[in-house]
Amino acid sequence: MKYVRWFDEIGKDDISSVGGKAANLGEMVNAGFPVPPGFAITIDAFEEFLESAKKRGKKAHIARIISKVDPKDTRELEKVSILVRDIVESTPVPEHIEEEIVRAYEKFCNHVGYENIPVAVRSSATAEDVPDASFAGQQDTYLWIRGKDSVVRHVVKCWSSLYTPRAIAYRATKGFDHYEVSIAVVVQKMVNSRSSGVMFTLNPANGDVSQIVIESSWGLGEAIVSGEVTPDRFAVDKVMEEIVERTVSPKTRWCVFREDGGVVYQDVPEEMQQKPSLDDHEVKELARIGKKIEEHYSIPMDIEWAIDRDFEFPESIFILQCRPETVWSKRKKEPVIKAKSGFDLIMSRATTTIKLKKS
Amino acid sequence: MSGFPDPLEVETPDEMEGWKEMYPPHYIFSEERAEWERRQFWYLDKIHAPDPMYPFDLIFHEAWQIALAQLNTRVFCIPPAQGVAQRILGCYFYICAVEPPSEETIQKKAELFQKRAFYVFENYEKENLYEKWEKRFRELGEEVKKIEVPDLPTFEPDERVFPEPRGYFTSYDLMEAYSKLIDSIYKAWQYHFQYLNLSYLAYLSFADVVRKLFPAISESTIGKMVAGADVVMFRPQEELAKLARLAISLGDRVKDILRSDRSPEEKIEELSKFPEGREWLRDFEDAKDPWFYVSCGSGWFHYEGSWINTLTVPFEYLKDYIETIEAGGSVERDIDEIHKKREEIVKEYRNLIKNEDDRNAFDQAYDYVRRIYSYAENHLFWVEHWFHTIVFEKMREFGRLFVRYGMLNNTDDVFLFNRFEIPMIIEDLVTSWALGENVPPRAEYWKGIAEKRKKILEAARNWNPPPALGTVPEEVAEPFTVMLWGITQEKVTEWIKGVTYRPEDVTEIKGFAASSGVIEGKARVIRFLDEITQVQEGEILVCPNTNPSWAPVFMKIKAAVTDIGGLTSHAAIVCREYGLPSVTGTGVATQVIKTGDIIRVDGDSGTVTIVKRSEG
Repeated sequence: MKYVRWFDEIGKDDISSVGGKAANLGEMVNAGFPVPPGFAITIDAFEEFLESAKKRGKKAHIARIISKVDPKDTRELEKVSILVRDIVESTPVPEHIEEEIVRAYEKFCNHVGYENIPVAVRSSATAEDVPDASFAGQQDTYLWIRGKDSVVRHVVKCWSSLYTPRAIAYRATKGFDHYEVSIAVVVQKMVNSRSSGVMFTLNPANGDVSQIVIESSWGLGEAIVSGEVTPDRFAVDKVMEEIVERTVSPKTRWCVFREDGGVVYQDVPEEMQQKPSLDDHEVKELARIGKKIEEHYSIPMDIEWAIDRDFEFPESIFILQCRPETVWSKRKKEPVIKAKSGFDLIMSRATTTIKLKKS
Repeated sequence: MSGFPDPLEVETPDEMEGWKEMYPPHYIFSEERAEWERRQFWYLDKIHAPDPMYPFDLIFHEAWQIALAQLNTRVFCIPPAQGVAQRILGCYFYICAVEPPSEETIQKKAELFQKRAFYVFENYEKENLYEKWEKRFRELGEEVKKIEVPDLPTFEPDERVFPEPRGYFTSYDLMEAYSKLIDSIYKAWQYHFQYLNLSYLAYLSFADVVRKLFPAISESTIGKMVAGADVVMFRPQEELAKLARLAISLGDRVKDILRSDRSPEEKIEELSKFPEGREWLRDFEDAKDPWFYVSCGSGWFHYEGSWINTLTVPFEYLKDYIETIEAGGSVERDIDEIHKKREEIVKEYRNLIKNEDDRNAFDQAYDYVRRIYSYAENHLFWVEHWFHTIVFEKMREFGRLFVRYGMLNNTDDVFLFNRFEIPMIIEDLVTSWALGENVPPRAEYWKGIAEKRKKILEAARNWNPPPALGTVPEEVAEPFTVMLWGITQEKVTEWIKGVTYRPEDVTEIKGFAASSGVIEGKARVIRFLDEITQVQEGEILVCPNTNPSWAPVFMKIKAAVTDIGGLTSHAAIVCREYGLPSVTGTGVATQVIKTGDIIRVDGDSGTVTIVKRSEG
């Protein structure tokens, strides 16, 4: 197995081979976090696909086309992207690579125990998920993909997503070499999300590191990310492991799967709109996992999660991905209180008055 | 204008006519001081006085008004803090944190504060200041117990004449006994504040640090980091647990008597009939003083009673405890476990602080508060419970004397007179005694006043006093105001809303998120401890506030809501320990909620929702 590596075979040191996203998923699986099972298709597969015997030198050719583009010229970018993606997507996948992907998918179906299991196919770039050059969302993600042919087709789409206008412009501006970049792909069991959202292992509103803040909404996480809904918000005290804040918002829209693949936005049934999208047990369990993830990485983290409606709590909780929190982690080098003795502290309290606004 | 009534313009119902004469003149709002009084912000002190004030019971307030302020302004000199002034309006008790002094005075006070307050912080442990305090305080209480309230003899006995006539006799003894009692109360309340202002300050200073480091931390968590486990407050409950265990170990006969439905007196009588019973009674007697000198209420009012004179309360708990133990439950608090848990919590928060200077500041502030905070927890038992119980018992000796000589109809009528009036009754009585046979005192006059005042208090109970008066201040500096009464911007805003509310229209009330968790259930509104036996398993307790003598009921309930008290209040502490949701300091829970209502207590957000009103 050269082109396919299962999550439990990889870790954070494998970015150069499976990309950031897959390496991180492997890291989480091996640390014991509940990540939906899956596998990565290595960079080698992509490289060999483009450098295959018949079309030798295709990657260099593409790089040449792109390198001439002015990243500020959006129309030109668009044109070049379509051209290049077309070249990629019309390239047949070498048989031995396709075979290995299909075999992995079938093994996966057998293992989980049902045919044509829906999966998410996501790109996993080598420069992605790096704190200071966040590529997140720059490559494509395909949800609810079923069947071996469709999986292979979307793997190719992920490969070609290395050449979206945004990705091209980004590399040009940042000075990354178009020839050097490569891409791996993640194929992961789809979570049948009843609820999903994000979790920060600090309070993003004020940087309080003693709190975990969870944002949650019905259906797929896409609804939150795209700003379609105001999520429910829960704050959990990390030390006391107690819910200290609970804000339930009316959630009018949700994002759900279509049976034939892909996702669709719909109105949330009225009786569900005002209901909290997580119960207390789920909030606390998520926070507990969040705390462990933070401990594992030793820095505040930003975590995507989902609750699978096909499983019983706590097996229903899945971690989809995580990355270092960037906003507050950069600050906070300065002391908040500074060097002060107990004497100073009491003195400052004793001389302080509480101001009240006149109404 | 603030939206609060002018204190001089508030009208009281006609049936309350005469209420002003019940209290000392300096407690009444008057034209003479109107300019100053209107400028202050007065609020109804529901912590210390949820009900109309009995004239004698005001004495503790008279004493703390002086003692608290004196510490702030003249002794430890907390720079911008002055005292907390008091007034009575229509039998209800109002307080106000006096505005800060001049800038010049603040400067002078700052120097003295540094010198004096830090002496205490530095030496509190080294010099065993708490132990010295407790020793002196208990000696004072013992002296009060020893005060003799003599009966009036037909003739002084021979011993007072031979070998040398004593010179002063029973009339003087009676007057002296009363003076001594009053003096001791004032002295006790001066002791009460000896370290209290400073321990509150240390708490607030630590809370400042924690909130800067963890801006979203809850007050209840700060309380948990600071709270002691082996505090005196829990002792009465622990003594009962011990007595319950002892009863079980002594065999079925002792146990069954205690579990029976007989009265406490009958139970004691039965137990004294056999050796094991007598053994149990010996331990029981040993535990009584001081641990049964715990008030059945807050300790502030004579009518609340204490365990020592309301034995049904501890005996009811004993019964519950024995049943709990028999059912395999535990009635003890695991102090080591509680300590360990607290240490872990502090350690975990500390580990979250990445900057070394910040961590040092945290350590320093924590060190100060841990050193002195137990004072805030422990003094409460000794002063408000133990000492007040002694005082009320002693006053009842005077009451019984007055009844014996026809001056009053009932023993407890003595509490219908303020502390300046009692000497007049004593003087009237001893004058009549000294003058000789058949010389009438003005007994009907005193009885008449007592009857009239009962009616006034009754009328006052049916009157709804405004929650606040006067002008909202620009700043509050007084540590008690912040710590104990929790005066904040939000509170003031809530009160302004509260001026016009009607209890039956309210469906949601707000308070402190004192102990986390959310639960729905049937409310049981309890105003006094003697109603506590009404509480059924699994109900939600709604009460003005709780105190150590309520502790055993927490094993029965599934949540608690109080009118008064912040995050370090008794209810908050006990609920956190038992893992029950609690919302404290709602201000109005006992007015808004009725027994039988289905309510939802959200101890995370500090909200209580009335889900369904009970029928009728």
